[in-house]
Amino acid sequence: MNHADSVRVFRFALFAIVVVTSAFVPMVAYAQAPANMPPYTPPKLANGQPDISGIWQVLNTAAWDLQDHGASLGVPAGRGVVVDNEIPYKPEALAKKKENEANRATRDPESKCYLSGVPRITFMPFPFQIVQQADKVNMLYEYNHTIRQIYMNGNPHPAGHIDWWMGDSRGRWEGNTLVVDVVDFGEETWFDRAGNYHSDALHVVERYTPISPYHLRYEVTIEDPKVFSRPWTLSAILYRRIDPHVELLEYECYAYQLENEFTKK
Amino acid sequence: MTLRAHVCALALVLLLPALATAQAIFNPKDWPEGKRGPGAKAWIAERGKLPPFTPPRTPDGQPDLQGRWGGTWSGDDIEEIPIFLDVTTPPWESWVSDPLDGKLPYQPWALAERTAHREGLGREVWSKDPSKRLYYDPQAFCMKSVPRYSQRGYELVQTKDAVLMMLNWGHIYRIIPLDSAARPSSAVRMWMGSARGHFEGDTLVVETTNLNGKMWLDSAGNFIGPNAKVTERIRLVAPNALDYQATVDDPETFTRPFTLNAPQRRQGAGGRGGANAVRDPYDAESWEHACHEGNGEHEKEIEELGFKWYLPSVAPKR
Repeated sequence: MNHADSVRVFRFALFAIVVVTSAFVPMVAYAQAPANMPPYTPPKLANGQPDISGIWQVLNTAAWDLQDHGASLGVPAGRGVVVDNEIPYKPEALAKKKENEANRATRDPESKCYLSGVPRITFMPFPFQIVQQADKVNMLYEYNHTIRQIYMNGNPHPAGHIDWWMGDSRGRWEGNTLVVDVVDFGEETWFDRAGNYHSDALHVVERYTPISPYHLRYEVTIEDPKVFSRPWTLSAILYRRIDPHVELLEYECYAYQLENEFTKK
Repeated sequence: MTLRAHVCALALVLLLPALATAQAIFNPKDWPEGKRGPGAKAWIAERGKLPPFTPPRTPDGQPDLQGRWGGTWSGDDIEEIPIFLDVTTPPWESWVSDPLDGKLPYQPWALAERTAHREGLGREVWSKDPSKRLYYDPQAFCMKSVPRYSQRGYELVQTKDAVLMMLNWGHIYRIIPLDSAARPSSAVRMWMGSARGHFEGDTLVVETTNLNGKMWLDSAGNFIGPNAKVTERIRLVAPNALDYQATVDDPETFTRPFTLNAPQRRQGAGGRGGANAVRDPYDAESWEHACHEGNGEHEKEIEELGFKWYLPSVAPKR
């Protein structure tokens, strides 16, 4: 490659960086201030519900850490999804979070391919599909073929407490927002790979609001008086996957792990 | 049964909590001589006596197959079970409707392979010699495949462009697009394969390819190869019964295609309920069945006993 070519390549690279960067700027702006999106009214299904069906996926780094974090090997840097970036741990709980993080390789339930819990499943870097029915919303996740069935049949949460990995989800519509109330969690799931965790007193409220044909605003309130001094909230954007041929495939975490375990020499 | 055999049988029950809890228990003393549980032949005879039935339609104009369907075909052995094997496995007719003799039309190498699976099987009492232990039923690791998923039953949901099947067991699901969109290349291998569906009259026809060949047809070592094509034909033949057929095309493993045939009955089961009963408002709900999460000790034990991970059986190179 002669000098002129090198300059051309360098200039093209600069140009590409500028184009890519400017393409991302408005997206970041929307993600931080989705209220700036023009008002949007989603189409309705035949049963009158707002139509949020389709294949969705996050485009953030919350799977690694819900909070702002720098990069390291295998970990992309990212702005967090926690509003004001603060998780209000009680002092003794913060110590446990740090211990979790230090022992992540063996203690993170993801390392054993367990069901992710909520909202961690939403932040896994895999697509999921929403299929709506009149009396429930089904969420099918590519990761570990996880199913969430969000009942809207008038039944309250069953008499508890029940230890479930994915909790018990009951939904309702508030305008165009799907509001999901989730309780009955065990203590085994975490929120991310950075050791953020909860107890069995966890109460999650998720809000899925269509803000364009291609975006859902995803807001989550976390309450757990055993671990946190006050409720706190997450806010993120879910992107509709519109790639040609997009469909859920498989990521069978524990099957791959077991096959490795059984076939290792 | 020796004490050791009893201990082994107990160990098996412990190894297979998910399987054991869902299986009926039969007492050999209450089982009449010569009786066979109803398989494909009995179902085809019952189906033949049903009055003509036109299924209702969804608002999109599709035959409405939606609901919670219980699987009826046994996972023990899809061929005939001639003798009482154990309390979960009484004599039973074959679920194979074609060929008529109810036997899987294996090629010679594949029949030898199936025989080897069976001899090295971790079922009830396994060999004391670890070198003779071959495989545990791959389903013990909380996975399913096509067509074996249908044995458990599922909830079926239709949209205008897809059919969704959700098993309560192990939160297994299938999303079947109702179009012929290009499938992923054969490099993409999946436990549940790549499915494409369409309606032929009242029948839902689903063709599945891109399987990985890592799951058996049953717990007795019967198998299909990774390049099998499975064509399922599902039709509502009465308000509360689906006719389920699966034809397997796999010339690498079999001398000809074969077909399984079984009914699936409408259920209100789920939540706290038993089959066919809507006793409380939660009976029609699917509650979490986390399989792998509680299976660690059993997985470890299977490995320590010397059983191997089942990899696809393929024809020996000529």
